[in-house]
Amino acid sequence: MVPDSVRAELRSIVGSQAVIDAPNDLRIFERDGSIEGAVPDAVVLPSSTEQVAGVVKVAARNRIPVVPRGAGTGLSGGAVTIRGGIALQLTRMRRILEIDPVAQIATVEPGVVNQELSLVAAQHGLFYAPDPSSQKACTIGGNAAENSGGPHCLYYGVTTNHVLGMEVVLADGSVHWVSGDAPDRVGLDLCGVLVGSEGTLCAITKIKVRLLRIPPSIATMLAAFPSIETASQAVSAVIGHGIVPAALEMMDRVTVGAVEAHYHAGYPTDAGAVLLVEVDGIAESTRELMGSIGRILSENQGYAMREAQTPAERELLWAGRKGAIGALGRIKPNYYLHDGVVPRSRLPQVLSAVGEIGVHYKLPVANVFHAGDGNLHPNILFDLRDKEVLPQVEAAGEEMLRAVVELGGALSGEHGIGLEKSAFMPWTYTEDDLDAMHRVKDVFDAGGTLNPGKIFPDPTRKAVHLAGRTGLAVEAKWW
Amino acid sequence: MVVTTPAIEKPASPEELAQRLKDAAGQKLAVVPVGGGRASGMGEALERCDVLLHTTRLDRVIEHSQADMVVSVEAGITLEALQQELAKAGQFLPLDPFNSPGHTIGGLLATGWTGPLRLRYGSPRDFLIGIRVALPDGKLATGGGRVVKNVSGYDMMKLHYGALGSLGVIVAASFKVFPIPMHDITVTSAGGWNAATHALSAPVAPSALELDSKGRVLARYTGSRDAVSRVIDELGWKAADRSVWDDHARSAPATWARIAVPREELRRAVQALPSGAEWWASPGVGVAHWAVESGPPSVIDMRSRVEAAGGTLVMLDAPDDFMREVGAWGKPPSTLGIQHRLKQAFDPDRVLNPGRFVV
Repeated sequence: MVPDSVRAELRSIVGSQAVIDAPNDLRIFERDGSIEGAVPDAVVLPSSTEQVAGVVKVAARNRIPVVPRGAGTGLSGGAVTIRGGIALQLTRMRRILEIDPVAQIATVEPGVVNQELSLVAAQHGLFYAPDPSSQKACTIGGNAAENSGGPHCLYYGVTTNHVLGMEVVLADGSVHWVSGDAPDRVGLDLCGVLVGSEGTLCAITKIKVRLLRIPPSIATMLAAFPSIETASQAVSAVIGHGIVPAALEMMDRVTVGAVEAHYHAGYPTDAGAVLLVEVDGIAESTRELMGSIGRILSENQGYAMREAQTPAERELLWAGRKGAIGALGRIKPNYYLHDGVVPRSRLPQVLSAVGEIGVHYKLPVANVFHAGDGNLHPNILFDLRDKEVLPQVEAAGEEMLRAVVELGGALSGEHGIGLEKSAFMPWTYTEDDLDAMHRVKDVFDAGGTLNPGKIFPDPTRKAVHLAGRTGLAVEAKWW
Repeated sequence: MVVTTPAIEKPASPEELAQRLKDAAGQKLAVVPVGGGRASGMGEALERCDVLLHTTRLDRVIEHSQADMVVSVEAGITLEALQQELAKAGQFLPLDPFNSPGHTIGGLLATGWTGPLRLRYGSPRDFLIGIRVALPDGKLATGGGRVVKNVSGYDMMKLHYGALGSLGVIVAASFKVFPIPMHDITVTSAGGWNAATHALSAPVAPSALELDSKGRVLARYTGSRDAVSRVIDELGWKAADRSVWDDHARSAPATWARIAVPREELRRAVQALPSGAEWWASPGVGVAHWAVESGPPSVIDMRSRVEAAGGTLVMLDAPDDFMREVGAWGKPPSTLGIQHRLKQAFDPDRVLNPGRFVV
């Protein structure tokens, strides 16, 4: 609960227009892109670092939870105010402060939309590489907090590889710059620790990111396969030949059907699976690489291969991929999505387990994912109006993640642990591992006001229900 | 340093190392982790040194999955031994640090030393995907995993990378590895900065580009045959044998410093070095190494210029008196308070490398 005196204090910091606390208005901030929601007690919309610091300070003094929030597109409940308190809505801080085309660095406020940064940078022949599928809406601040990925992270790396420095507000309201333009720093790499900390260690108020030169030539190809297994095999073969494409994405039959009905991008609907492959560089290089990739794909039962001939065609192929999850709404109105990662060679095994789990729970599953990274995205499709279905959906999701872990994988490749996967952390980390992470949390936020109830298992929440269908009693140990 | 003869421990397993560390910490003995000893000159003089904790017997490749392009190793394996293993599968770790050969993987992670290939591949910060660390309380804590993309929990790799063993002793690590490039050509020019800048702004970037104080430029191009040939033709530089990189990696002056600045500031920084100074640089990265032959005041002067440009000057080795006079690290980071609290959380009795690192 946020007492009236605190509300008044918040209004004095950000202005009364920038505090929302009417019950109907608050409901808008109940959710992010995941399933579980909780209504905040107040939403505060600061427009400067000083205001953020002021709000965080007031919250700390009054022991009120603060949950930083960007566009709310996150898929793990990271922005959900599960313990109530303040949703710190950062989207009014949306200025691109500087683009230095010589240094190839952009400095932005957290609310800048991912795609907008690339569009503006394009005027200088530059782009920002991490490209989550939600890039039309998601913010750079949210990306940094979650260490987001995207299709092109196969070659270019994820958000943490592109963040050079950040201005952050810590739990006590103090403001700090961590890292910066120069490559090596003196002391501990706080910036590296804070990226991906899911709002539990700091609020991010400025981000310096690396921009890359737009490659002069981009080649994009679509290939059909008889099955998910053969497509997985082809992925391994491409990488095994020492080729790391810019992106290597897979869609299964269910997804292709929905995407084609929606986008008419020319996806082959008879295929068991479709791969979308992209390489970039100079023309000589993309031609040669695409030639090799084409050969490898056909040797691995690829067919109906089609290379985009124009930028518009390329856009359309990608629109299908990036809009895939939306297109799945044609099948069922809701989806539940995990993003476990397996070692690439385990893709056929894990996908067959995912398929079996879907059949067992009688839930349609659509796979659309970053195959090159081994980063799954099984979308469990359902209708939330069917009250009985949710526990089934959650149980299926848990079993899929369990299968991922049993095959030596990790709980999340890019969406974060947040609320929905915190209970599973002990599957991959020992008590000592989690204790070390707790020490970091305590250093940054001893009072526990920043995004409480996330990442770490919460004993007050429901126990994990695992029907145990995958059955393998594998020690979740790396070493 | 207090002159005593430190005990030497060479544990044979991570568990044994953790136990030795715990035993020493229990007696508040100062512990100095040692890998290949290639960076033993880095940092301030130790306040105390009671136990030298060697990782060299932890030299196993734990698992190398060729298909997954992931390798897990114990920290004491040398870079050369690891490369040999990876090469059997046509793969490699893109790491070519100076003062080679003989670095251990743990040492490279603790010090954050890199080499010319950082231009194309980044530093281990970018391809380290899992880490296991022994803590002074005897716990073994793991972060990350064996997959190439992972956001489960805090990024503990970043916490320990470059921390000079001040929060824990790295006992094992997992990396994303890379295919050995299909084509790998080295060319050279005597054209100095202008040649270097020209090559760096061409549409095909080199994988490594080094410039030295004699004006020699070495550029390494990797990738598809057609792309490599096109850029080599356009540059028109002389071909060089690839062994020049091995020679380059052996560079390790008796007294040397690493200068790191925003890359567009590097030229100006290097030009401010004392006349006749020997140095080599990665202009595309923003890092230069300086073979210091002038006195401490020249380093202090240079450091103030570098810090004014938003960079750092770190001494990599120097005689004790020299190091004491100039200091190893320079201006402390603005987040020193938080860094001290992290040190306190992981090493409350300050037994790990006391006095050597920033915290």
